[in-house]
Amino acid sequence: MEVALISGLQGLFLGLVALTPGQALMILVGCGLLYLGIRKGYEPLLLVPIGFGAILVNIPLADMMGKDGFLRFFYDFGVLTEIFPLLIFIGIGAMTDFQPLLENPKIILLGAAGQFGIFLTLLLALAVGFDKLDAVAVAIIGACDGPTAIYVSSKFAPHMLGAVSVAAYSYMSLVPLIQPPIMRALTTDKERKIVMGVAKRPVSKTTKILFPIVVTIFASILAPKGAPLIGTVMLGNLMRESGVVERLKSAAENEIANIVTLLLGLSIGATMEAANFLRAQTLLVLALGFIAIGLDTAVGLLFGKAMCLLTGGKINPLIGAAGISAFPMSARVVQVEGQKYNKKSYLLMHAMSANAGGQIGSVIAAAVMLSVLQGMGIIAG
Amino acid sequence: MATSVVAPMLGKVLKIEKNVGESVEEDDVVVVLEAMKMEIPVVAPVGGVVKAVMVAPGQAVEAEETLAEIE
Amino acid sequence: MDTWTFGWTVALIGMGGTMLVLWILSLLILLLKKLFPQNAQPAERS
Repeated sequence: MEVALISGLQGLFLGLVALTPGQALMILVGCGLLYLGIRKGYEPLLLVPIGFGAILVNIPLADMMGKDGFLRFFYDFGVLTEIFPLLIFIGIGAMTDFQPLLENPKIILLGAAGQFGIFLTLLLALAVGFDKLDAVAVAIIGACDGPTAIYVSSKFAPHMLGAVSVAAYSYMSLVPLIQPPIMRALTTDKERKIVMGVAKRPVSKTTKILFPIVVTIFASILAPKGAPLIGTVMLGNLMRESGVVERLKSAAENEIANIVTLLLGLSIGATMEAANFLRAQTLLVLALGFIAIGLDTAVGLLFGKAMCLLTGGKINPLIGAAGISAFPMSARVVQVEGQKYNKKSYLLMHAMSANAGGQIGSVIAAAVMLSVLQGMGIIAG
Repeated sequence: MATSVVAPMLGKVLKIEKNVGESVEEDDVVVVLEAMKMEIPVVAPVGGVVKAVMVAPGQAVEAEETLAEIE
Repeated sequence: MDTWTFGWTVALIGMGGTMLVLWILSLLILLLKKLFPQNAQPAERS
């Protein structure tokens, strides 16, 4: 009888005994993410489930990422298959109004420049010793776009998924802190004061409906490996602009996006097992991700300066900073910064054009990268 | 000669900061607009006295719509 | 393939390709706008 009691009691302490220092630390990391999400308001929709997932997966003996664990089920079902990020993309497409971009299509080039950080970071990651495909996953943080980063890294470097997505999402919400110093450093006072006038170029409904169809066909043919990314965003956008499938559009941007965000966040948190996450490599990933977003901003600004020069000073280079995909944070930063230097400067709509360009740009950049990798035979066709 | 304060973009009037008869300096905020869930302060292009305010809080405005006049 | 050939190839073709694809898209948008211009009537408020 006593023996049975004692062994029964022992069962309650088994977990405590089995808790490794690494797991304890990761539980703290999970709490830290929850703190950032709840108290600081950094992307709470993502950081709350990610942080909680990180706590759950590091509970000893619970084995929720084990063969029959419930986190493993969600991970295998949605992340491994890349279904979750693609479903999110449909929602993003349904939420995004590309009108500012259609009004001023030349600005889309800033959205391309805002992705160069991806490729420059790829070189940096290779330089510090990452494997080819791991370097690709690190570099994609520079897309400054959560689902794109998750899509690419779950394909090539699933062991880094936790670090890559935490970096992508937390830096996205740090954009208002990361960008302004770079904007100040790279532009002259005169450039910052340029007034761009009123953005008002009406776009017909037909154009808005044809846009997602045309983009899907042309961009997917040029970069077939990215077709799932491009196709899902544009499907969502077509549902929005066509106006005939209100129910589907609303499901895509509300119910589906919400359910998937919850499960995706949990699954990503679940990749943050101590043995996997507590490595020097993780710190490197976080550092390189930070640099990537800085480089995006810098190249966007430099491209903005070039456009300023070519247009004879009609374009304020500050809007180049909005060429990254963090929508609409980055456009807001540009508006606020621009008005700091010239009260009569209203850059929001122009920055929105660049920002919408950045959203397409990040998807296209990922698509191009995947297709180049395929062409080089690095990944299977 | 009156100078117009025009809306720099499509949005909604949030607040009127300067009413008719008040004097304004150049770059003083006259009207605050809301666009893209963001507050956009619209400033006076010149100094003077507010002669007329054409909009009321809550009203939607087009880009280039006149918000107020300054003399 | 050695690391640096890989890195520079992906970086250069990647940057050039992204720029090229988006430039083509901007031309397509211009074309769409030419083909389907907005009527003279005032734009609807959203």
